[in-house]
Amino acid sequence: MLRSIYLKTLRDYRVAILGWGIGMGLVVISPMASVSALVTTPQARQQLVSLAASFAWNADAIKVDTIGGYATFKIGFFVFLIAIWPLLVGSRMLRGEEDRGSMDVLLSLPRPRLNVAFEKLAAMWTALFAMGVLIGLLAFAGGKKFGADFGLGDGLLYGLNLALICAVFGCLALLISQFTQERGPAAGSTAGLLVFFIVLDMVHRVVPNSEWISRLSPIYYYNLSKPLIPSYGTNAGAMIFQLALAAMLGGAAIWLFVRRDVGGTVPLPRWLRLPERQASRVLPVGDWSLGSVYARSMGMIAMPTVWWTLGIAAFAGFMVYAVQLLETKMSALLSGSPAFSTLIKNLGGGDASVNAGLLSAMFFFLPLGLMAFAVTQVNGWSADEQDGRLELVLTTPRSRMAVLLGRFAALATATIVISVVTLLASAAAAAAAGLKIDEGHLAAAVLGAIPLGLLIASIGYLASGWLRTAADTGLLSFVLAAWFFISFIGPELKLPDATLRLSAFYYYGTPLLNGLQPASVLGVLAVAAAVLALGTMRFARKDIGV
Amino acid sequence: MAAIIEVEKLTKSYGSKRGIADVSFSVEEGEVFGFLGPNGAGKTTTIRLLMALLHADSGAARIAGFDCWKQSLEIKRLIGYIPGEPALDPNLTGGQILEYFAHLRGGVDQAYLKQLVERFELDISRKFRQYSTGNKRKVVLIQAFMHRPRLLILDEPTSGLDPLNQQEFDHMVKEASDEGRTVFLSSHVLSEVEKTCTRVGIVRDGSIVRIGDVAEVKAIKRYEITIHFANPVPAETFKTLEGVADVETLDHGHAVRLAMQGSADAVIKAAANYPVVSLTSYEPSLEDIFLRYYESDTAPTKEAQGVA
Repeated sequence: MLRSIYLKTLRDYRVAILGWGIGMGLVVISPMASVSALVTTPQARQQLVSLAASFAWNADAIKVDTIGGYATFKIGFFVFLIAIWPLLVGSRMLRGEEDRGSMDVLLSLPRPRLNVAFEKLAAMWTALFAMGVLIGLLAFAGGKKFGADFGLGDGLLYGLNLALICAVFGCLALLISQFTQERGPAAGSTAGLLVFFIVLDMVHRVVPNSEWISRLSPIYYYNLSKPLIPSYGTNAGAMIFQLALAAMLGGAAIWLFVRRDVGGTVPLPRWLRLPERQASRVLPVGDWSLGSVYARSMGMIAMPTVWWTLGIAAFAGFMVYAVQLLETKMSALLSGSPAFSTLIKNLGGGDASVNAGLLSAMFFFLPLGLMAFAVTQVNGWSADEQDGRLELVLTTPRSRMAVLLGRFAALATATIVISVVTLLASAAAAAAAGLKIDEGHLAAAVLGAIPLGLLIASIGYLASGWLRTAADTGLLSFVLAAWFFISFIGPELKLPDATLRLSAFYYYGTPLLNGLQPASVLGVLAVAAAVLALGTMRFARKDIGV
Repeated sequence: MAAIIEVEKLTKSYGSKRGIADVSFSVEEGEVFGFLGPNGAGKTTTIRLLMALLHADSGAARIAGFDCWKQSLEIKRLIGYIPGEPALDPNLTGGQILEYFAHLRGGVDQAYLKQLVERFELDISRKFRQYSTGNKRKVVLIQAFMHRPRLLILDEPTSGLDPLNQQEFDHMVKEASDEGRTVFLSSHVLSEVEKTCTRVGIVRDGSIVRIGDVAEVKAIKRYEITIHFANPVPAETFKTLEGVADVETLDHGHAVRLAMQGSADAVIKAAANYPVVSLTSYEPSLEDIFLRYYESDTAPTKEAQGVA
């Protein structure tokens, strides 16, 4: 596997191919399990179709009463999630190597620069198509298990369509990275464009006669194919367009790469350039973020916190606003579908026929978001240690415990900030929609997610005492996914109570309906504190950088 | 003078891989101690044990009387440190890094810090990731010296510095030494150690093979004498003389190259019996001595064993 740059790069992706391919495959399968339970009566079927139509702004509601149609509709929501891996890979494919200085060595080999870039790009494409095959196979297997009407070929075409849209955003990130000095801004800009294109695609579903606007978005062409709905089928032209677009973006990126300075960027027009920086020997004496490990950690976490706050608060605010608008349709659906009512009850914990019950079910995603944020920040800590950035800090007169706790305290502060802003956004949305909701319970629902964020973070800090960054992040992601599935599907599978108690979400409870459960909150906090204490002890004793 | 660093039978392994074994030495307060060895010999492991970044399997290490592991906080107040492979936040500017570490050290003399920045002509408004290797090294050097530490522990400190800045570094070490501060410097650049250090320890395969003054190490050197004669001279004339370790005939017998150890008196007197055209003596650098210690995988050469 080390005989060429292509094979070496592919080897680097092997864990991601399996992890991302299987993980995303499971995401596709998960909605398939609930379809049959949702359409037990013609009335329930009709109401499901009607409810889906209410969400048509998000994804085309086509044949949502079939397994393939429902899965396609639900996964429409997850395009953002699926495109994250190629986006990160595209932004670091060349720029990351330049950051590390390894590109210099690579380009000192008797091999044209074009080949180096092309082999790396080809490895990403291969990885994406391998993931697409895995997702397609899993979709087919899931469909077969639940009695879907699509075949293996349809499943594979579904995977291929996903791979193509992923390739588009991977290549877009690669192209943007030719203009940025670091990989972070390239990844951030591409993520921003991804959101923009998702919204652009939504326009034609909301505003009549605006399809021409949505055609400007690559997501539009992805959505033109729905292979899991045999009667809708695949739009070959749209798939070819995505392929051509990805090839063009990748080709442009390579064309620029072979012509620019290694370590430099493609020169922008003068009017787009930042002003020339003047050399200086003036020390930044008053900088607030340099006063302590905690302050520095806050400085590091500030920007990600802003983005996560915007995302989570906007999501919560939207849920609060939307639930009021959906009340009538939801009531009809719930009266016709006991299974859906049970599902909502599993998540929300109460009578789903009232707004609070539905909102409670939807708020289940709030702690999940907060915990995902915590995982990304633990990843930063682990990477800093692995890359040796803690070494000099640990040789100053600061104890290891103080360094770790300073970093953790910054993460805790950020978690609290996100939660408080989310609470304010939710309260404002409730007021705007005229939704009557217990303010104390709303506060409990939002702020009650904080202990869960701290718990997953402390587990990550403990695990980083032994594991390297990738393994630590992988473990946390697995724990998070396992908890989610235990709480999301566990009650339906009649899992024993002891198993349900293994999920941290169990202790989150249903605060929107029943208020804060002090015993559960204190219990989670106590476990988090104990795990953090163990993590601190481990960190205080371990060999650094080994 | 009291020892500021005391290391006794310090041992560290990484699973089945060797780190260091039974390393013992001491460094006295105020001296400039060179720690020599090739890559992978165990220099960095020893230093990281002193800095409490690693936990020793056995043995003891003390700095200023404090246990390096148990009382590391007290020790870190006394030390300025340069790691072998410095990694710092790539998104901070050089100035931000220096201010951050100044705060972590409880504050430094800002005027002195500015002076160091000027001295190295460092543009501190650039991000760390944008610095050249040499400029990155300057940032790390300044952070190690800026709080005027009692002990400087420097792991390959001049790697990547240009000759002018290396010279500046030499001056700073000299100044630190003149002020009575101690410098523990690891390097595989022997000329650097020869220039700046008063004593050296040589480490090989995780063990100390020799410790001595720089002058003392050089005193056990072998040196060479090459003598050119007007007529051919038999090599046997010199082979049995005192101080001659080896004889090589050159230029069809018109010259001899003698590997010497000790006094050259007998050689000079023997050569005087023949018409000498020229005589040159070559004094080996520490580099040559160092290389001889590593020229084979066997035990140290005879004279090294005798002196160590």
